[in-house]
Amino acid sequence: MKIVASGLLILTLAACSKQEAPPAIAAAPAPAKPATPAVAPAPIAAPAAIAAPVAEIAAAPGGEAVFKKICATCHMADGSGVPYLQPSIKGSAWISNPDPQLLLSLILRGSAVLGEAAKAYDNDMPPLDNLSDAEIAAVATYVRGRFAAPPLTEPVTPAQVAIARARPGLPE
Amino acid sequence: MKTTPTLLAALLLGTLAHGALTPAPNNDGLILPPGFKAVVVADKLKPLRNIAVAPNGDLYAKTRKDGIYALRDTNGDGVADEVKEFGDGGGTGIAVHNGWLYESTDKDLYRYKLNAGELVPSGKPERIVKDLPNQGQHSAKVFAFGADGKLYVESGSPSNAFGGKNDRREGAKGEDPTEFLKTHGGYWRFDADRAEQTLADGQRFSTGHRHSTTIALNPANGKLFVAIHGRDQLSTVAPQFFSEKDNAENPSEVFHELNEGANFGWPFTYWDANTKQRKMNPEYGGDGKKLAEPGKYPDPLVAFPAHWAPMQLAFYTGKQFPAKYQGGAFLAFQGSWNRAPEPQKGYRVVFIPFDAKGMPTGEYETFADNFAGKAEIASPGDAAHRPNGVAVGPDGSLYISDSQAGRIWRIFYTGDAK
Repeated sequence: MKIVASGLLILTLAACSKQEAPPAIAAAPAPAKPATPAVAPAPIAAPAAIAAPVAEIAAAPGGEAVFKKICATCHMADGSGVPYLQPSIKGSAWISNPDPQLLLSLILRGSAVLGEAAKAYDNDMPPLDNLSDAEIAAVATYVRGRFAAPPLTEPVTPAQVAIARARPGLPE
Repeated sequence: MKTTPTLLAALLLGTLAHGALTPAPNNDGLILPPGFKAVVVADKLKPLRNIAVAPNGDLYAKTRKDGIYALRDTNGDGVADEVKEFGDGGGTGIAVHNGWLYESTDKDLYRYKLNAGELVPSGKPERIVKDLPNQGQHSAKVFAFGADGKLYVESGSPSNAFGGKNDRREGAKGEDPTEFLKTHGGYWRFDADRAEQTLADGQRFSTGHRHSTTIALNPANGKLFVAIHGRDQLSTVAPQFFSEKDNAENPSEVFHELNEGANFGWPFTYWDANTKQRKMNPEYGGDGKKLAEPGKYPDPLVAFPAHWAPMQLAFYTGKQFPAKYQGGAFLAFQGSWNRAPEPQKGYRVVFIPFDAKGMPTGEYETFADNFAGKAEIASPGDAAHRPNGVAVGPDGSLYISDSQAGRIWRIFYTGDAK
């Protein structure tokens, strides 16, 4: 699956290099096949796809606080990033993929997982594996609800984070 | 009205010197001292880095990712009539020196022969320095020519405070930088005329800095001066010791004389702009109070507010501006990103006064402001413009380039305060 991963990187790069408009939906990577069939179903019933993201954000207490404390420092409170230094995360293909495993790998391992694509921006993102599974699940849920295009409302669970943490690299 | 005769005289001189320069309406929104005017030389170019003016008034501007713009004003109204782009490779540094146009990418330094009459150099570039370290972060390679005619080139430090893989993360621990500093975090001296030099061919002239995008020679005393970007993310790395406000306000951007053998104390220390003390970085045991060993590293000659991002420096060698500016220097600040949740700041060009011996007085004042276009911004992306390059033209005008929207201004003095 190396080819697929490279394709995702290129798409991500394309998405990140556009600072304003989120990428067209057609440009987002194809939804990955469920990479983690072993994952327990989300504790909250799968939402009817168009549920209000705000409600779901409220269902992930702590996600906004983690975002403000950790993520917004570099990616800015509105997700707009800093030209040349840190990418905008609005509409990021990594966040917009319905399967959260790509996003979780990025959070846990930092920009090292982006490979060559990371060179589009000067600064490195450190691995945030010092955060707990619950904190990462909460912030992943929050950024998916706020920055994914279209917004993703299904909560990310600590169990999904644990799977990403146990995996050596990107999902297959 | 003690100032009236002065103003009249200046107005007369200004009129003679710049008969055709036409100010932009409302000085294009820039806030300038009384008597100064701005004209937009060019607009909507690619994001610009440093700039240089040739003795004939032709202007050269580096783009961050692409070629070099060459701009010429053929009718003297201040607006560029010819705008060409040549070369490639992006980068930051550019200077006109002894009939050559020198310019740097993030890993190499080249020069083009400037032939009489040519706006775009017709010759091939000659590579003077090659294969400098380039890890992406802090990779701009600014340079200047010393009074000795040698070339001084920066090699930056691709990290915040040498915190290894957890750099910029809570709990980041500093590593031993001894080997790293043999190739990074300093200025190196090269021959200005010899091709294909490597870092090993150069001499490490100074050490212990994080990243410097600012170096210029003061022609009054032959000394080189640099500004250095202070550290980021104190409250991210050590929230138990630093509040977000501490991070936003404390780690100063510093201005130093570049002496042979100078060590500016990175990655172990930072300059606290509030207490005016050199303190240990939290990556090396600092807690916001612990001071660096006294006398080990020089105090800055000027301490600027945290995170403003000092870019190009230009000594004012012209005669057009009033006497107080002559012999001083202008420094462009690109503006902060790491002050959030406090509002972002910087985004201006400051004037740094120098004394009769050619040393900075320690003070500075805002010269050109309102590049951001609004009173308060939360994110750099909200700024209309970010000043990056400054250069003095042969008539004494000051040129300013913009790394956000690709605009170039020419600032001139008429004495007309309206």
